[in-house]
Amino acid sequence: MSKFERQTLTVDGVKTVVHTAGHGEPLVFFHGAGTIDGFDFAERWTDRFRVIVPYHPGFGESGDDPTFTTMHDYVMHYLELFDMLRLDRFNLVGLSMGGYLAAKFASEHGHRVKKLTLIAPAGLIDPKNPMLDILAVPGEAVPGLLVSDFEVIKKKLPEKPDLDFMGERYREATTVARLFWEHPGDPKFMRYLHRIKVPTQIIWGEEDKIIPAGQAETWRKFIPNADIQVYKGAGHLVHLERPEAVDAVARFMS
Amino acid sequence: MAAPLRFNVMHFMPYSYLPENHKEFKSTWVSFPNKYFDPDKGHELYNRYIGELVLADQLGYDAVVVNEHHNTVYSLMATPNIIASSLVAQTKNVRICVWGTPPNFMLPNRLAEEYAVLDVMSKGRIEVAFPLGTGMEYWSNPVNPATAREKFRESLKIILQAWSEDGPTTHYGNHYTYRFLNPWPRPYQRPHPPCYIVGTGSPETIDIAAELGFGYASVFVTQARARELNEQLRERASHFGHTIRPDQLPLLTFVYVAETQEKAEKEYIPHLQRFFEDYARTIPQYLAPPGYLSVDQLKVRAATADKMHGGFDFKAISSSFFISVGTPDKVANDIGEWTVRMKTNHINNVMHVADMPHWKTVKNITLFAEEVIPRLRARASSPQRMAAE
Repeated sequence: MSKFERQTLTVDGVKTVVHTAGHGEPLVFFHGAGTIDGFDFAERWTDRFRVIVPYHPGFGESGDDPTFTTMHDYVMHYLELFDMLRLDRFNLVGLSMGGYLAAKFASEHGHRVKKLTLIAPAGLIDPKNPMLDILAVPGEAVPGLLVSDFEVIKKKLPEKPDLDFMGERYREATTVARLFWEHPGDPKFMRYLHRIKVPTQIIWGEEDKIIPAGQAETWRKFIPNADIQVYKGAGHLVHLERPEAVDAVARFMS
Repeated sequence: MAAPLRFNVMHFMPYSYLPENHKEFKSTWVSFPNKYFDPDKGHELYNRYIGELVLADQLGYDAVVVNEHHNTVYSLMATPNIIASSLVAQTKNVRICVWGTPPNFMLPNRLAEEYAVLDVMSKGRIEVAFPLGTGMEYWSNPVNPATAREKFRESLKIILQAWSEDGPTTHYGNHYTYRFLNPWPRPYQRPHPPCYIVGTGSPETIDIAAELGFGYASVFVTQARARELNEQLRERASHFGHTIRPDQLPLLTFVYVAETQEKAEKEYIPHLQRFFEDYARTIPQYLAPPGYLSVDQLKVRAATADKMHGGFDFKAISSSFFISVGTPDKVANDIGEWTVRMKTNHINNVMHVADMPHWKTVKNITLFAEEVIPRLRARASSPQRMAAE
């Protein structure tokens, strides 16, 4: 995150850390349900965009708020944060759970989103292409499921068992459990997706072991004009495995 | 210690017919396939185990103890109140302790009602404990581990209100709404049966016991840790204006008595080894579902688990937990020391483990009743002893 400037804000009582770099139109990135993948990849956007990467409450460098129990709480958190940052209208990119959040935000507050990119987004209840129930997977098995080539994620992992790393993952899993333990899917989310009218791009890794790439076609039912790109040789973290997918986001947003 | 010693027999009622290939499974909890459950064997075991607790009544023990676990060979008591109901009918004098159903897995009014039914049926012989439930239970029941502690507190509040206040009352909380909390029957004991919290030492759980003035039964913690927890409870309880009595600190022991030391070890240790290695076998994921522990507690426990790697070592295990195996003199000595050190008069004996056969269980329960209890009671009433304390 060398290029990025770190800012700590208090958003409705919650410590919120935002990393910002680059110049140009604002581009907000919503990370997924874990933060081991980091944000280095986003440097590729900084020559054309002012890239704004917040940590969600309960993840990474931001603080906890145990009262956040639904995705709606995160939408409200971001309305507040964007007002504080004076971000009126911006490009929005969301990965996995962050894609779910980005799509929900765009379906409710479309006038604030210029263009939308969803990378392997979660959120659909798609019985033909079911998402893996990641909460049921032992923690140590998760990294291997995130990528097609394990080497890509290996360098983000500690070499030896590391209690702090384990604690940080447990904390993020706790945040995810608060949201999804009882109800992994929300049928109401899909009901309102048709309200997304902004130009939308959907990106997927063909070998995604968490959310099958087959869900891309299901998304098309809700967002008929979406530009769908599926990358070979990539898993769930397609943005780490295929830098050209990251460049495709920048081209789409420009 | 003025109050007389109290002796319980606690039973886990395990499913003791593990399939030959069971070592292939990393856990005998949560996901261990239930195709290995044979109802004929289950029938035999329920009758046998309940009979062993009925024997404890006949031999003059003060209480029998049952508890609740799910999806496991460790315990066949998924519904302990049903076992307790059978014990109410088959016993005359013992107190019947359901230690207990995790309130999170039942509607609070329903749990208050079931305990009240048992208490009235038995004319006040029921005691209850409220566990949060192990991490494993949260994989087996549709309850969020990340909000389990707040739900647990709310459930306790409702149950105590249902028992202690004249109904109908109301409750409006985050997890439950009661417009008419007015359960029939009410418990026989007023305002309610003796209550304990069961736990493995989370500070959050000790604080609940301290605040409510409940007893606290620590389970599966080391001797040193159990002592610390008892001290913590006393200290925290006094902060809330409660004084903890010795009988509110049941001491969980594993005991086996035989004619000679050698015989006792030979008859018991293989079963104890299988208890730890096979019946209590689980994985870190099941022990700590997300949010079940605070991040700090997770790290503390992960660090401890690392140190405990290695095979079964009877000497190490029996010195770190309250395990006594041997002649009546040896077992009486151990328990006598422990009650003094732990400042308790309440001994909660596990007298059957794993695949221990019926004859050994009967022998153990009988020898303890006839040889160990009289030794301990004689000591407790001797003047030198009283002076020493």
